[in-house]
Amino acid sequence: MSESAKNRTTPLIASVCYVRYAVSEPLACARFVSDIFGLQQVADRDGELAFRSDDRYRTVSLSNDQGDGASIGVEVWDEAALQEIGERLHEHGFAVRTTNADKCRRRYVYSALLAEDASGNRIDLVTRPARSGRRYFPPRDAGIVRFQGIGLRSTDHVRDLAFWRLLGTEVTDWVGDIAYLRIDNLHHRIALYPSRRNGLLYAAFEVEALDQIMQNSYFMQENQVKIVQGPGRQSASRQTFLHVEGPDGLILSYVNGIAEVGEKPRPPRQFPLTATSLCNWGSECKGVPELSART
Amino acid sequence: MIQLKDVSYVRLGSPDLEQAENFATTCLGLQIAERDKKSLYLRSDERAHTLCYSEGDPSDQTVGFEVENEASLQDAASTLESLGHAVHAGKAQEAEQRKVKAFIGFRDPTGNHIELVVRPERNGRRYFASRDAGITGFSHIGLNSTDPLRDEKFWTHVCNARVSDRIGDIPLMRVNAIHHTIALVRAPQSGIQHINHQVETNDDVLRSYYFLNERRVPIVFGPGRHPTSGARFLYFRGPDGMIFEYSVGVDEIEDEATHRPRQYGFEPTSFCMWGSKPAGMALPNK
Repeated sequence: MSESAKNRTTPLIASVCYVRYAVSEPLACARFVSDIFGLQQVADRDGELAFRSDDRYRTVSLSNDQGDGASIGVEVWDEAALQEIGERLHEHGFAVRTTNADKCRRRYVYSALLAEDASGNRIDLVTRPARSGRRYFPPRDAGIVRFQGIGLRSTDHVRDLAFWRLLGTEVTDWVGDIAYLRIDNLHHRIALYPSRRNGLLYAAFEVEALDQIMQNSYFMQENQVKIVQGPGRQSASRQTFLHVEGPDGLILSYVNGIAEVGEKPRPPRQFPLTATSLCNWGSECKGVPELSART
Repeated sequence: MIQLKDVSYVRLGSPDLEQAENFATTCLGLQIAERDKKSLYLRSDERAHTLCYSEGDPSDQTVGFEVENEASLQDAASTLESLGHAVHAGKAQEAEQRKVKAFIGFRDPTGNHIELVVRPERNGRRYFASRDAGITGFSHIGLNSTDPLRDEKFWTHVCNARVSDRIGDIPLMRVNAIHHTIALVRAPQSGIQHINHQVETNDDVLRSYYFLNERRVPIVFGPGRHPTSGARFLYFRGPDGMIFEYSVGVDEIEDEATHRPRQYGFEPTSFCMWGSKPAGMALPNK
């Protein structure tokens, strides 16, 4: 660890700030993201459709660029932290690439390092992601408050966990080998799911209250949208959730009421990989192995 | 005016007490207080019983309301008789069956069998549920009405009920601070339309939804939320077609003197603000 890291009084990373999806049918996905899920479309630039969910300029993008189109944005505290993370990842054998102005522009950020975890998930480490002066104005009353976090598939959970720990995240709880990772006062922002393949599992958006979880659940039923799981409540984080699936297997989630982590440190709790650990109301996942308790 | 303090119990006839017991304990989650050949007493809170099944015709349905004392009971009997309602003075053995000190029976204008009771028994031991449904107590009933305008008048003029809100011309009426204890429901004949038990949390409502679904208990409405009372609810069907409701978070009327009933249109969103639709259960007024 370098001298500068030891002297840091701020965390290395601040948030998960965007998800970029590469899909085969961006327009069909865009209709799902805006008309059904309820995000505001703000731009169509460089072949990427961008959507807002809060005061950030955009938190979701869609493109059909299978090369540079898919990534997860992690907001790094400052340039010094970016350099520190770059060194750490390099030291531990993770791929880190510097980037150019064009790629930063495409990501609506000031500077970036493009990294990959051990599973090959592309993680953009970025500084100064763009905010918008205009308030968020959604196309329908889904009650979305902000982008909260992600679920990530992992083919090598030991090495992937090492990757996220180098960024300063901490495990709050385990369900089997599913790891809930925190970066601030919330129970988790990132959940790592052991899987046979890599990729984003879901992007989660906080809604105002349980009312919106339930209203969206009936809205999805009425519009014949596939509900992957929910309404339910995660046992470890206590957050209520509804996972819905759009075209291209795109899973978006409404969440509410996640637990905050107290001042007092505690070791991560281990829950068994059973249905009641994943949902204590009794909902079960249909068709997504990472979200199911294997029996 | 007849001063109702609270709803006290429901008595239901059933041809199959075994089935009633099985449902009450494994699905609904009540505690058996007493069981003999011809009757089944069930607890849901600190009271000695709040639901009683007795061997008989399922159309025999009675709701008991508590009044202050025996003098109030006598006054109520005279009031009802002067209005032309036949009043049955409860015999000692009948009172014992109901675990009350004294009672009278009569029929409301629709023909619902109503009892007014004095000193219903409590139980010193706390309520201990047969399954973890989170029940905190028996709370209200939906009561059939062949003429809601006429019956609202009866409950609010002859008795002390106050209208908290209306959906169409269906009144939700309170007799204490709780938003409603009696909800009138338009129906072609008399009867109890549903029996409500309160549960502890939202979680209990949703857990029971998945639990009852798995056991193939017909869910007839919900999970949902009433915009009137604010309560989160789940309605499901039990033995002999009776509908039971779990709910949580029912509002209290904070200022009795200044509360004005709100008018809601007769439409689905007035019954559920989440978007659930009744299935196998008629909305009141339909």
